[in-house]
Amino acid sequence: MMREALLHPLRFAGDHRFTRAQASNYLEDELDAHSRERVEHHAHACPPCMRLLASLRRTVAALRTLRDGPSSSLPGVSESVLARLRDEPARDTGRDTGYAGG
Amino acid sequence: MYADRLHAVVRRLVDDDHDAEEVIQETFLRAWRAIDKFNGDSQFFTWLYRIGVNEASRRTARNRKRGPVVRLDDQVDPADDRPGPAQSVQHGDLRRVLEQAVRDLKPDYRAPLVLRDVEGLSTTQAADILGIGEAAFKSRLHRARLEVRSAIREYLPEDDHP
Repeated sequence: MMREALLHPLRFAGDHRFTRAQASNYLEDELDAHSRERVEHHAHACPPCMRLLASLRRTVAALRTLRDGPSSSLPGVSESVLARLRDEPARDTGRDTGYAGG
Repeated sequence: MYADRLHAVVRRLVDDDHDAEEVIQETFLRAWRAIDKFNGDSQFFTWLYRIGVNEASRRTARNRKRGPVVRLDDQVDPADDRPGPAQSVQHGDLRRVLEQAVRDLKPDYRAPLVLRDVEGLSTTQAADILGIGEAAFKSRLHRARLEVRSAIREYLPEDDHP
């Protein structure tokens, strides 16, 4: 890190800002080849950026586990929605929507 | 199936279960009333999610005007404010801290993170639901991830600490 920063301080600082701004896009593989190489080259020379990428990857992985949490069903909603729909004026949309209410 | 997934999203965007239930009801009613406007250009669930997210946004904004909402059942135990070493942390603790970190995000950041990282929608789908461009979506998502990362840093390996 120090060698790269000392030899090319302006480039290092620019790459540092770029890497921190593009970290999510890098992890999602949404960077073009040049940008991807720029991030990887910098991260290998910059431990804080390497840690940022690793911790962001773990954070996203942890967030994805939330989806498989306790049941998110909502007992009673179907009944209450149906009750309110029964109170709605009769509708004629003129077509079969195929909508079954999920 | 739509109702369960929509509820999972909405519950993370509003303050409590009561609001979530009302938002879901309102979402399905609005969808019913507007079903003839659904032109099929987008997937049905994208259209339904958009209605739900907008309704949740309205509800949250209304609550903010009224003042903070106190949710006794959702509050984190003060005794757990200082989690122990990562090695001894139970999965349930991380989950609770994660959920709290998501709730603490500003609404503009929370919705992208919930749709993309929790629900696993594509960037294109999630940005479409929120009605924003992909560049703005990615920027908000990145900010949200950085905030969540800071909130759970105690649970990350020490090698990952910034």
